Amino acid sequence: MNIKHTDWALEHLEDHLQAAVDLELWTIPFYMSAMYSIKDRESDAYQLIRTIINQEMLHLQCAANIANAYGFSPKITPPVYQGTKIPHLNFKLDPSEKTEPYMPYTAEIGPLDLKHINGMCLVELPEFDPPPLEILLESLINEYSTIGAFYDALRFGASLLKGHIKGGVRQVDYFSAFYRNMPNMTVTESGGAGFDQISLLIDLITDQGEGQCKKDPTVPSVFQNTADDTEPSEDHFVKFNQIKDAGGPDGCKLPETFSTKPVSEYTPEDIQLQNILVKQFGQLTQLLESLFRGENPDNFFPVMASVGGALRNCWEHGVTPKFSETNQH
Amino acid sequence: MTNKTVFRVHPSVNFARFGTSEDYILSPETSAGLPQKGTDITGGLPIKKGTQNTPVTSNDLRDEDGNLKKQAARFRIYAYDFDGEDSYPGGAGTQVVVGTTLADGRTVKDLIWSSHLANKKAAAYNVVNNKGIEAYANNQVPQMRNPEVHGTIDSDYRLNRLMIDAGPRAISASSGDIAKFNRCSEAKCVQTGGEIVPLPKYPIRFPEDTNDELYEPSGPLDTLGEIRTDDEGRLLVLASSGNAVGQYDEYGVPIQMTGDLNNVGWFDSASDGPVNVTLVFDDGSTEEAFGAWVVCGDPAYAPQIRNVVSVWDDVYNMFVRDLGLQPDLYGFTHHEDKCQYKPTYKPNFTQDIQPIFIACNLQRWTANLPPLALHAHTAVEAITEDNDPNETIMAALNFIRNPNKDETNIGAPLMPLSLGAAGTSFLTVTKTQYFMLEQWSKNQFEKGEGTALGPGEILDMASMANCLGGRYVPGIEVSYTIMEKDIYQQDWKTSGSGPFRIKQYPLTYEELSKDKPYLNIGWIPLHNMTDGLEPGDISKFMAIPWQTDYNSCSIHATAINTDGVNESNGAESTLYWSWPSQRPDAVYVAEEVYNNVLPQQKWSIRGKGTYAVNPASAATFQDPLQSVQDWDKIGIIVQGTNIDGDREGCDTQKFSPELYLEVQSQLTNPGDATDPVPAWPFNANPTKKKRGCPH
Repeated sequence: MNIKHTDWALEHLEDHLQAAVDLELWTIPFYMSAMYSIKDRESDAYQLIRTIINQEMLHLQCAANIANAYGFSPKITPPVYQGTKIPHLNFKLDPSEKTEPYMPYTAEIGPLDLKHINGMCLVELPEFDPPPLEILLESLINEYSTIGAFYDALRFGASLLKGHIKGGVRQVDYFSAFYRNMPNMTVTESGGAGFDQISLLIDLITDQGEGQCKKDPTVPSVFQNTADDTEPSEDHFVKFNQIKDAGGPDGCKLPETFSTKPVSEYTPEDIQLQNILVKQFGQLTQLLESLFRGENPDNFFPVMASVGGALRNCWEHGVTPKFSETNQH
Repeated sequence: MTNKTVFRVHPSVNFARFGTSEDYILSPETSAGLPQKGTDITGGLPIKKGTQNTPVTSNDLRDEDGNLKKQAARFRIYAYDFDGEDSYPGGAGTQVVVGTTLADGRTVKDLIWSSHLANKKAAAYNVVNNKGIEAYANNQVPQMRNPEVHGTIDSDYRLNRLMIDAGPRAISASSGDIAKFNRCSEAKCVQTGGEIVPLPKYPIRFPEDTNDELYEPSGPLDTLGEIRTDDEGRLLVLASSGNAVGQYDEYGVPIQMTGDLNNVGWFDSASDGPVNVTLVFDDGSTEEAFGAWVVCGDPAYAPQIRNVVSVWDDVYNMFVRDLGLQPDLYGFTHHEDKCQYKPTYKPNFTQDIQPIFIACNLQRWTANLPPLALHAHTAVEAITEDNDPNETIMAALNFIRNPNKDETNIGAPLMPLSLGAAGTSFLTVTKTQYFMLEQWSKNQFEKGEGTALGPGEILDMASMANCLGGRYVPGIEVSYTIMEKDIYQQDWKTSGSGPFRIKQYPLTYEELSKDKPYLNIGWIPLHNMTDGLEPGDISKFMAIPWQTDYNSCSIHATAINTDGVNESNGAESTLYWSWPSQRPDAVYVAEEVYNNVLPQQKWSIRGKGTYAVNPASAATFQDPLQSVQDWDKIGIIVQGTNIDGDREGCDTQKFSPELYLEVQSQLTNPGDATDPVPAWPFNANPTKKKRGCPH
């Protein structure tokens, strides 16, 4: 159901910002699991996914910084990975000819295979038409067809409420050295000037990844990684399609992944490895929440790095990673 | 077989370091950065002169006039009971000094020490920075240095003009003599029976012999160092002042230095050579010890900052893999029909794993790491033997570049993040280090103190552990040749020499002539030469002059290693550290630290003449001539425990043992403006576009 612009209240904006955080967070374990399942760390697929994961972390930071500028510190909860459900996106709203090439897909944690690379492409599916003059503001957040449409709405709502922006509140910046052309990664100003900064961060998110409609798919130089990206000018959708195309129509040319074993064959050590990942990812979500709440937890990055190691450890032992006890089959 | 007593000089390879002062301190006998029992001072600090093992403090590093003190290499003798078959580690060894009585009742009456230092750099082959040792493969050699000096590589004409050979010197401990490796001091050698024999016809060679005038920005190059003994008869080898001299061109201008590695017309006073000793007993008998090797080279600007890969790691790796050092660790496996690491081997956490973790965390004191990396490195060092590896940040070795795979072009997040060996973008740990880490990650390791090394073995390890490994492009103390088995005594198990001992080419000093050079160009790699090394055969693979390479090797894009083409997985302009532990890049200045609160980092090389238009050349003297003149003004990184806090106008302050700060720099004064230090990642200016065909 559409709502009127004037009905946008701070609470509704917060819902959108929380949804943005949820969505960015959701992608990280999903993509990480696919990346770490690849045996050859030098493979193009591994390296491309690595660059995308880094940018998803950046996008999570951006979404949290925007939220904090409105006085709202986002909640970080372990995402759910079930069936084909990707939070807040409804692909049924997309033209079927746009989504058909990426079927079948899955939203469950797993190795890099055809279904997973399809799911990754769908997450990053661009808007194929320019944004309508009349921005559609959905009352239900999962009524957006693409992330681009979602962020268009968020930007519009944010502009309506720019008077609420306070700069310099609980801003986090771990990435500016990787983007030397980017003026600022944080919201330091209040009001209208602060909105310009917020709008820049939304542009960064959508131009790098989640499918802003644009005639030229090249990521503008201001948003290009200047340090450690193999293809800094390509957006996520292009990168994932590159992997999908190289994998062939049935995905059999995708890079070799670690073989997995059925749960029934897990040893106590295997289960321990899975539990370590669950525990560390749980810690990570708590630390992220405190990070975006203005605290400065010392062990945030060590735990985040440890999650990567625990994940890799699972795959190397044939164990499918698990990020929470309850939110994943 | 009857056991016999053999004598060995330790460290088997030792390092004397340049200094502009006539005064000296002693090279460290502990391993950089490692905990030491009973103190919170970590290993690697030089030792105060005249003491057994008292670490220096910051005020000991320069003399009253502000000149940098030399570091003398101290050699000791150990006696071993040898039964015809050595193994490693042996764990034994008794130090022998003047006055020591052996089990057979003989007492050491005197020690006759000898050494022979030479510098063949200008006469040798070019260092090829993107090829490394491969430049010698397939029976090839690189271009000769100073090609305008006519002749083949071994011609008398070239050697007379380009080789610096001070000749041998010998002294007895009882005499208290000092022998200088200069022209004024007579060459002497030791004959069988310990007799010191003058060699008046020895063809001593210095650049002034064949150059009427030389550009001498730091004085004449007229010595390669000296030898003397301490009060227990142990040998001290002092390096030269470290100066360099250049020829003038036809216009009377010092020859322009055009690069880092192979400057035409320049000489420096680095050197290396054998060290030998004859023990003279009270019954008139004599015994010769298995000799050692001394390398005289660069100052240690960060003596406690451990290299993730040190010379020790490389030499140990080679001995394990190629010379049967520890068959329980690596050797032939029948069911695999090949040599391999033994899955049953359990490394010791303290000896084999923790040093890597400590080295990782120490990089922060000499490199401009970003905050996230600092937290990660702290977590690595915090790992103890009681942690489950699977629960640590090092689980699955997820962030370690695997040397058994083709991963040298993958940068962050794989570690080490510093630049790699010739032809590779990034550094890897050695295969033996990686195997040890793998075993640890599988919970296949031992806790506790581990196997005890003998005192001589500890010295061998410590000496080499304090030197730069991995990235021999060409290196700081030694180059890639240190990993070649051909230079070592390969019969170490049966000869009584013990491992890690460089094989000496037999020098008889017969048929000497003032006109004919005595030494040849000597050993080169990959040419099946196993008859030993001559003096100068280690240092000739290093840059000439040494200062230009030290200066330049601060930070680079990866393409410097890979033929100018970016092979890495990052931007071509992203900058990485060349030798961060041994050649400090970004440092914290002790004078700017208050209450243990760290200030902004500063470049180690800074101030006048260092302002860089391109970040790729930050932290360097912009004019190579300045590097030849001002290298001794660079500060030294020292642990907080050993920094004298006598700051002018302030109360004496104590620094935390956790801090490693720069002291004794003479490049800037507090408050001087300097180039800012950005946190990594940072970038070089874009390269110029290549001109295409206009048509």
